[in-house]
Amino acid sequence: MNELPIFDLEERLRLAGANLTYPATPDIAGQVRLRLYGRPRPQPTRLRRLAWGAALVLILLAGLLAVPGVRAQVLEFLQIGVVRIFLVEPTPTPTLPPPTQASPAVDQDQPENSLPVPPPTQLPSSTPLASLLDFAGETSLEEAARDSGIPIGLPAYPPDLGLPDRVFLQNLDGQVLVLVWLSPADPAKVRLSLLQFSGSDNMILSKIQPVTVLETTVAGNPAVWTEGPYLLKYRNGDIDIVRLIEGHVLIWEQAGVTYRLETDLPLEEAVRVAESIRPRP
Amino acid sequence: MDELELINHARQGDETAWEALLRAHQEPAFRLAFLFLGDPDQAEDVVQEAFIRAFHALPRFDLDRPFRPWLLTITANLARNQLRSAGRYLTVLRRFWQEKPDHTIHPETEATQHWEAETLWQAVRHLGFADQQVIYYRYFLDLPVEETAAALNIAEGTVKSRTHRAVTRLRQVIEQDYPTLTKGIQA
Repeated sequence: MNELPIFDLEERLRLAGANLTYPATPDIAGQVRLRLYGRPRPQPTRLRRLAWGAALVLILLAGLLAVPGVRAQVLEFLQIGVVRIFLVEPTPTPTLPPPTQASPAVDQDQPENSLPVPPPTQLPSSTPLASLLDFAGETSLEEAARDSGIPIGLPAYPPDLGLPDRVFLQNLDGQVLVLVWLSPADPAKVRLSLLQFSGSDNMILSKIQPVTVLETTVAGNPAVWTEGPYLLKYRNGDIDIVRLIEGHVLIWEQAGVTYRLETDLPLEEAVRVAESIRPRP
Repeated sequence: MDELELINHARQGDETAWEALLRAHQEPAFRLAFLFLGDPDQAEDVVQEAFIRAFHALPRFDLDRPFRPWLLTITANLARNQLRSAGRYLTVLRRFWQEKPDHTIHPETEATQHWEAETLWQAVRHLGFADQQVIYYRYFLDLPVEETAAALNIAEGTVKSRTHRAVTRLRQVIEQDYPTLTKGIQA
């Protein structure tokens, strides 16, 4: 018997730390140097599997559409650029609590071939925030400008915002540019994200029954402000449905580009950010 | 070149200095991420992401603060974000239960220091994130109190009480779920 001579739990923890077999540490410093200074980061195998989740969404919708009376409950919809927001009367289902701040309705983007649907009857009580690791198509502003054809706009407000920390370019029957600014105080958190959608006849994103919809304007253009937990359609190989910020979203169209700004700022500040957007020099 | 000089050079765009800094700290960062996530591929991704974010935040880094705890804090926060991601959380849970050691194995036949280390780690993973964090810093990464305090953004005096609470909770987990580990643990 190989009895351990140490009887104190703290000492045994120290021994455990020393005796645990860790995987060999990969050359992360070299990989990071390549990402920062060299060629674009080769995406890990897991990330290569990432793509817009049309198939997943269709599967989800197939189940949701089984709910009777869905079409009859559509009141109206708002169209801002490629985003269509359906306002659906809540379904009086005994198993579904009414939308509240604590248990909000699911607020998802769905592709155009979907029909407006109520939230599923089994909703998660909370939705995990997205990790940027889950996003495919990381690139640089320069490459995105070259590859996307989207006239990239960058906000000049707040003054300390600077250039986005991360840039992703994805395709969903049209190009989607995702700009992400990280929190200066906590780089693990997202401060702001701005999505820019190129116009496409095939690309209509539907937002179903948001908790709040306020109509407003951005530089005179119609805009919609929604708030509450916000699920993005982004998914990864692990079938995550994720979001970047627990906050609000401002959607508007300007010069043929649909913008979606995610932020935890109040509406007035979000509009100010939106109206500060200028073409990338 | 000492660490402060490396940081200053890195701030001025010296990629060699930045790489040298990361190379000096990549092992504890990777091990920390692995301890939280239990998956080397995910740990590698998280640490890469942490280092990229640290690079972008470097101009705002307070030079009066120690560098390693700052990197570890970013790493831990990103690991926590990963765990919060629904799919990953389920994946980790699934893997955790699949790999959970058979508690019926008796140490008289299987006990080795390696077995104890693995089993203790699995027991630690039953704890909440904050308890895991302080145990990993203090015992698995062997960080001194001042670095642990900096990484947790708490006073040095609080490290001791927080560690004590985490170890107490771990003792309860062991007594309940890992009886084979109770042999020799002081009451």
